[in-house]
Formats: sequence, structure tokens, C-alpha cells
Amino acid sequence: MPLAHVDRWQGRNVRLADVGRALAQLRDRDVHDEDGPDLRTSVLTHLVWVPERWRAAVEEVLKGLDERHPSRAIVLYPHPEPERDAIDVEIAVESYRLKGVCRHVSAEVIRIDLHGRRAEAPASIVSPLLMHDLPVFLRWRGQPPFGEGPLEQLIGIADRLVVDSTEWDDLPAAYPRLANLFDRVAVSDIAWSRTQRWRRVLAGLWPGIAELSELRVRGPRATGLLLGGWLRGRLGRDISLALEPDETITAIVVDGIPVQQPPGEPKTPSDLLSDELEIYGRDRIYEEAVRAAAL
Amino acid sequence: MAETDQAVVEAENPLLEGLRLRRRPDPCALVIFGASGDLTTRKLFPAIYSLAVRRLLPERFAIVGIARTEESDEDFRQRMREAVEEHSRDELREDVWQELAAGMRYVTSEFDDPGGWERLTRALNALDAERGTNGNRVYYLAVPPGAIANLADELGKRRETEGWTRLVVEKPFGRDRASATDLNERIHCHFSEREIFRIDHYLGKETVQNMLALRFANGIFEPIWNRQFVDHVQITVAESIGIEDRAEFYEQAGAIRDIFQNHLLQLLALTAMEPPIDFTADSVRNEKVKVLRSMQTPGPSTVVRGQYGRGFVEGEEVAGYREEPRVAPDSMTETFVAAELYVDNWRWADTPFYVRVGKRLPRRETTIAIHFKRAPHPPFEELAAEGLRPNVLIVQVQPDEGVSLAIGAKVPGQGMTIRTVHMDFLYGGAFRTGLPEAYERLILDTLLGDATLFTRADEVDEQWALVDAIVAAWQRDRPGFPNYDAGTWGPPSAEELLARAGRAWRRN
Repeated sequence: MPLAHVDRWQGRNVRLADVGRALAQLRDRDVHDEDGPDLRTSVLTHLVWVPERWRAAVEEVLKGLDERHPSRAIVLYPHPEPERDAIDVEIAVESYRLKGVCRHVSAEVIRIDLHGRRAEAPASIVSPLLMHDLPVFLRWRGQPPFGEGPLEQLIGIADRLVVDSTEWDDLPAAYPRLANLFDRVAVSDIAWSRTQRWRRVLAGLWPGIAELSELRVRGPRATGLLLGGWLRGRLGRDISLALEPDETITAIVVDGIPVQQPPGEPKTPSDLLSDELEIYGRDRIYEEAVRAAAL
Repeated sequence: MAETDQAVVEAENPLLEGLRLRRRPDPCALVIFGASGDLTTRKLFPAIYSLAVRRLLPERFAIVGIARTEESDEDFRQRMREAVEEHSRDELREDVWQELAAGMRYVTSEFDDPGGWERLTRALNALDAERGTNGNRVYYLAVPPGAIANLADELGKRRETEGWTRLVVEKPFGRDRASATDLNERIHCHFSEREIFRIDHYLGKETVQNMLALRFANGIFEPIWNRQFVDHVQITVAESIGIEDRAEFYEQAGAIRDIFQNHLLQLLALTAMEPPIDFTADSVRNEKVKVLRSMQTPGPSTVVRGQYGRGFVEGEEVAGYREEPRVAPDSMTETFVAAELYVDNWRWADTPFYVRVGKRLPRRETTIAIHFKRAPHPPFEELAAEGLRPNVLIVQVQPDEGVSLAIGAKVPGQGMTIRTVHMDFLYGGAFRTGLPEAYERLILDTLLGDATLFTRADEVDEQWALVDAIVAAWQRDRPGFPNYDAGTWGPPSAEELLARAGRAWRRN
């Protein structure tokens, strides 16, 4: 969908009331256009927690995401260093041209830098900015600090936590800590989504795969662990797992026999996240795989 | 492995749970009669290709085109490739196309040539062996209405003993109730009702299906979707184009058989139907049939017909209907129909459904507008509320697919002035993936054997019963045609139809 125009606003050391006013002003700018005001049609609030090292990657994913999920994205960049306690905000209202229609449709991206102690209370900052009555998806870049304040607070206001355990260093030890969240918030893992095309192939090996005893996976550690956990959980048997690191899953061997490559191309990070934003309920099969991944 | 054994294995497979697998159609061969025609080129093949891009076709699949035009398999593949390049919503991908093209065959034949049938059978048997299509067949009759009965007879006589068979029939299904009954009887000699898929492509449109979502997935609408709250309903199927090169068909059909009998009555049935108990084919179609059976036969004073004369559409002067090529200079074929219809049931008694269809109207639009009753006692001065109109819920089927609600709102400033404003939901704005073409959905449903969005024999019968009654009344008078200018909203009598009850057609 072609971008028609982007309206921006920036503020340093701002209060949330300033942000609310700025959003209203940006929307008002288009009201008197000859094409009529931009449409704002939202299906969710997309909350993103981005430690500094993930900043560039997030921008890339956000670009592709607007195409599929008209939402308000609130991107939080924590800077816990105690230089100043403040919030800096940049708002971009991106308007897209709709095919065959004069009017534009807009999406809002609110980037908030949380400085000093403001990084400790993110929920109180984003709560006034959530879209009413729509689901809140919390995408946490990197390994979440389980048990710590920001994660605990944001889980309290989110309907779904979206992580990518391929971004985590502490595996499989982190999986049981993630599993502790399952009864509080629905969880999606993009690493799990990446295994989907391979899981289809493995499911096609039924009933021959029922007696599986050894699984070898060449790919990211997280995806291998999750596949192992999935097969342990689903087949109800102990399975020995051998992992060989690679950037994506490139080979799977079951009891010494290589598995056929799945058809088609793997999805882009943007498409994988988009898929997760379409799921609302708990994924019991994933939860079972996570619990079994650490065994 | 037999199909039932396969189903048992799948049911027992613990690895399938949670995989979000779409049901994939059984292996089959799709046979298109009329493969050299416009429908195949412009609609069917682009839709098949889009299904292939999304990996929604059966894993083992083949297509056989059959038509009179002399062509080789390779010519057919090349022509269909060009059709996809020109008309598909998806870019042509070489890998997808090559996979599809590998299963394409073409048979040149007249439909009454026994040799042609032999060649078709040989081609299908060869495809069963080469591509594992298992004797499953979908026969798509993209042919003129007059050819359908004979083709169904021939196909019936040659039915395969193994595998399933489905027959897809394009509209119009008959030209009146008697001919539709006759056609149904002839097809039923060889095919059961569940094997027959009568296409009304409007039912494949996302926005038409959204009508069901709007009504039955939202608790706020159903309680007010009745005579207590609805003043009247307006359904418009307007085209700005003329008859293009369809004079031969249109002279016989007119607006009433071309659009009114099928698309328009289907839209009305979906608007007025009771909630089905589930979304299975029979549950949905049972409810639609009940609506059609409940409809009063309209009298002559509640139906208006028209024919366009010269006029201007989008700034361009266009010919009148009688001046179109191959149209009789004294033709009495109607290009416009408007009617005041009533559904005699508990929900809709005495609530008029105003419907209109027409060619060479000011713009192309298909809308369903639910006009609610006025607020019983607006506590504002008359002047303050003079810009206020009753609430209207508009389902925009095409173009600009979406839903809009007209509500009264206070004009900012001192005092209390009320004006009507629109709250819009645009499909393209909320869900930014491209909408699938109607034929994609309908072809996929045929391959899956799901007849929910297809018209059942008793629906067709009820639709024709209503149309026959209208046409019978038309035999008794001879209106002065043409009676509306191209580029206007039909003859003045269409306005009078509503004006006598103090109402008016929507303009915007």
C-alpha cells in the first residue's frame, strides 16, 4: 500500500497530556483536505519494548507490519541510566493510499524514550495511550528480565506477550521461567512460528515417527529445543536431541533419516510477527513444547 | 491408503494438533467446458492461479480445458498464462505457473461430438495415472445457458465409477420457473443436489459474506434488525456501463433475469434471513429459502421498469439502449427495474424493501442500506435538528467495500445544532491484505465440496416464482421506452415508488 504522507511531532521532556494533544492535532490536520479526513481503523495496540541493541531491527519490522495490522504502535526505548528522569516522544501518523478510494487510512507510531526512573514504570506511561477495548500485544525484544518490574507491569496490561526465543542467550534455562507466565498472559514465540513449516513435514511422517528416539536439528538453538520439546510432549516419550548451530533451520534428521525440506520460502520477520498478532488465545501445544524443551 | 483409513490415521496423529492447517481439497481434475471463453480468461484462470500462489489447490491437481477453438495443450497454457498476467491480482511467479501448467491439458471438441468425449475421457484417465487425481472430477460449465442441459446429460451418461463428481453451473439458471424446473430435473437425473454447485458470484464477494458477520457476530445489530426499529431497506445494484457486447443475451434476459432474479434477491435474502443455527450449507440456505417463500408477489403498482435512452455518463455521451449494436430498434427489453417488496414474516411484516437494478446509471455501486426509524421525540428545536436524518447503516458491497453508519452529532460551537455524520469502516483500511476475488472463494469451496455460498434448487425455484409473477404483469402493458436518460437514476416513476410513502432513494 503506497504511503501518502507522514505527519510528525516531537517533544523532549514531555507529559502525556502533550502527547494526547499532539495526536489530536495531527489527526485534525487532515480534516479539511479535499479527500476528507484520514480514516483511523485499528484492530489492536502494539506495544514494543526495545532495549538499545534491538533498535535498528525494530524499525525494520515495523515497516512491514503496518501493511497488515492497522494499529497504534507504542515503541518503548528504555534508558535506565540516571542522567535525567524524563520522557521524550516522537509521533508519526503514517497515511496510506487505499486502492480505488480517495481517502487515506492512517496508522500511528508513538516512539517513547524512557529516561532514568521513567524506565521503571512503563505501564503507567503507556496505559493512557492504549486503544480502548482492543487487545494489547506486547512484543519484547531480547530475553525478558523475568520477575523484574517493567516486564511484570507490562504483562499486567497486555493480552498477549510476543517473544522470539532465538534472541535469548540463556537457553534452555529461560524456558521454565517463561512457562511461569503462561497462566497470566497468552504467549507467542516467533521461534516457534519458524518451526511451523517443519512441524507440518514431521506431522506427515506419522505414524512412522511415533517411535522416534533421536532427533538432530541444524538451526538456531531455540528452534531445535522447541522442536525437541514438541515431539517429547506430543509423542509422550523421551527423545535424545542433538543440535548443530545455524542461522535458520536447514536440516532435520529423525532416527538417522533426513527429513524432506518443507515447500516454499521461510517467512520474513515482519510476516512472522504479523501471524502472531492474529492469534488471541493460548497456544497449549506451544506451552507443552516449552515445558518439555527444558527436560 | 483408502480415504477412510487416511482419515483415521489423521485423527490419531498427535502432531497435527495446533498446526493451524487449512483443509486442503482432495486430489482432483477440474474440467472447464468453454475454456476459450471470456469467463475462463478473465475470471476462472486468474482465480485458479491466485489459489495456486497461496497453496490452496489440491496437492495433486489437473485442469482440462475443452472448447471448439482449435488449440494444442501448449497454446492453451500460453493463452492462460497471458490471462493470468493480464487479469490476476497476483504477479506471475514462474515456479507457481510451471507447477500449474504441468497439469494442464486441452481438448478441442464440439460438445456433441462423441469423438471429443472419447478424447476427454482419455485425457482424464491419463491425468489420473500421471498426477494421481484419483478419478475425482469437477466439471465447470462456463458455457451459454442453452448448452447446460445437454452437457449435463452427456456428463451423466459418462460418470466415472470411482471418485467423486461435482458439477458447477453458471447463472442464469433457466429463463423462468418452468425452464429452471426442467433444467433441475434433467441435471438431477444424473447428479444429486449435493453434487451441483450453482454459482452466483455475488455470494463469493467478501462484503456479501461480511453481511453475515455483521449481523450474526455483533450483538448490537440483531436486536434492532426488525420491523420495530427498521423503517425500510434499500438495495441498489447499479452499473454505469451499458450492455457492452452482450446484446444477444441481454435482449432475452433484461435486467430482471440478468441481475434481479439472482444477485439482488440473494442480497435481499441475506439481509432479511433469520440467524442460521450454524454455518453449514443447508442451515444457511434453509434460512434464505424461508425469506424467498415469505415474499409477497408484487403488484404492477409496486414494480417499475425502464430502458435507457441517450445521455451522459462520466462526461461522455453514450448511446441509448435501442441504438446499441444488435439490439432491436423497437426493443422492449428493460434495463432498469425498481420494486417495493415485502417479506411477510414476524420480523419484517409491513417493512418495505426497496430494490433497484439498472444499467447506465450515474455510477457503479452495490449497497444495502438499512434505514432506521426516526428518534421518537428529539428534544431539540426544529431548526437545530433540521440537518438531522434518521440513522442509516450502509453495507457497501462494491466499490469501496465497507460499512458506514450515519448518526446525528452536535455541530461544535454555541447552541445545539445537529448534523448527520458518517462513521466509516473501510475493509481495505482495517484489513490491509488484498480482498480475494469472488471466484477464488467459490472455486476453492467447490474443490472442498462446501456448497454454503451456492444457490440450491429450491432457492432458484422461489426466485423464479417471484420473477415470473412480475414478468406476467408486464405482458399487460407497454411502457413508452426509453424512459430514462443514461446517467440518471432511472425513470421518474422509480422516484414516485418511494415518494408516495414520503421516502426517497439514497443519492450518496
